[in-house]
Amino acid sequence: MATTTAQITLTSTDIADNALSISNTMTLTTAGTETGITETTGLARKKIASATEVDLLTVSNLEVTAAKSAKVYIKNTSTATDKYALIGIGEATGSPTYIGRLYGGDWMLFPWDANETGGAAHANNEDVTIKMNDATETVIEYMVFFE
Amino acid sequence: MATTTATLTLTSTDLLTDSLSLSATQTLYKAGTTTGLDSIQYERLEVPTGDVYDMIDATSAGANKANKIYIANKHTDATKYVDIYIAAVNIGRLYAGDWAFFPLEAAAATQDVGIEAISAAQVVEFALIHEGKTLVAS
Repeated sequence: MATTTAQITLTSTDIADNALSISNTMTLTTAGTETGITETTGLARKKIASATEVDLLTVSNLEVTAAKSAKVYIKNTSTATDKYALIGIGEATGSPTYIGRLYGGDWMLFPWDANETGGAAHANNEDVTIKMNDATETVIEYMVFFE
Repeated sequence: MATTTATLTLTSTDLLTDSLSLSATQTLYKAGTTTGLDSIQYERLEVPTGDVYDMIDATSAGANKANKIYIANKHTDATKYVDIYIAAVNIGRLYAGDWAFFPLEAAAATQDVGIEAISAAQVVEFALIHEGKTLVAS
């Protein structure tokens, strides 16, 4: 088994009267166990130069087991803080549910249910979708940890 | 304006043949600007089993912005988890000890962040650093 840890440090000295200081470390384990996750896509980079909604991660193209403890890391590597990537869950050709916007420099790490309801491109598949706010070429980095 | 930063450090010496060492830091800005987010909601609560409960209500003041949310499952039994929802979509499980950090679009009033504790009540902590919240008159 592998040992992979993810630590977040969330700090501010002036968002409130008292300082905010959150620090938390998790070990990435398989669902319901203390056994480390052993599979990953590795860190990938993708150039996107279109405002068309597309699948960044397609369940049917990965060997992610649904409803386990998969984690997804995504970063918008741009330095443009006025441009964003809108991340969603669903099918790009359907109506994904939007999680939120990654502006230039933003990152996210979230658990992924990764259910595949039907075949590829089924409207209810839980792919991870991405839609840039314009066609400016942007590099997105991402990585999936799964079982 | 406030300055709030979120840093991720992702490491492993044995997941891959070579060591994994990834670090990412962001300053939490308001949408499309370099002005820091300056509102926060920080809570700890016990989530009972039996239903999906709204943890964060999406409101028009925060819709389509650059809100960020941190959620941590503080339970200690590795077999227990909470499901995280946006609107009616289960985006994934946070097992005991897991955390997540992601932006929150809150595009419509129906896009609340929901949580469901599976097989046992579990304590979670969350922080919403946001751009605005529509208050409800008492």
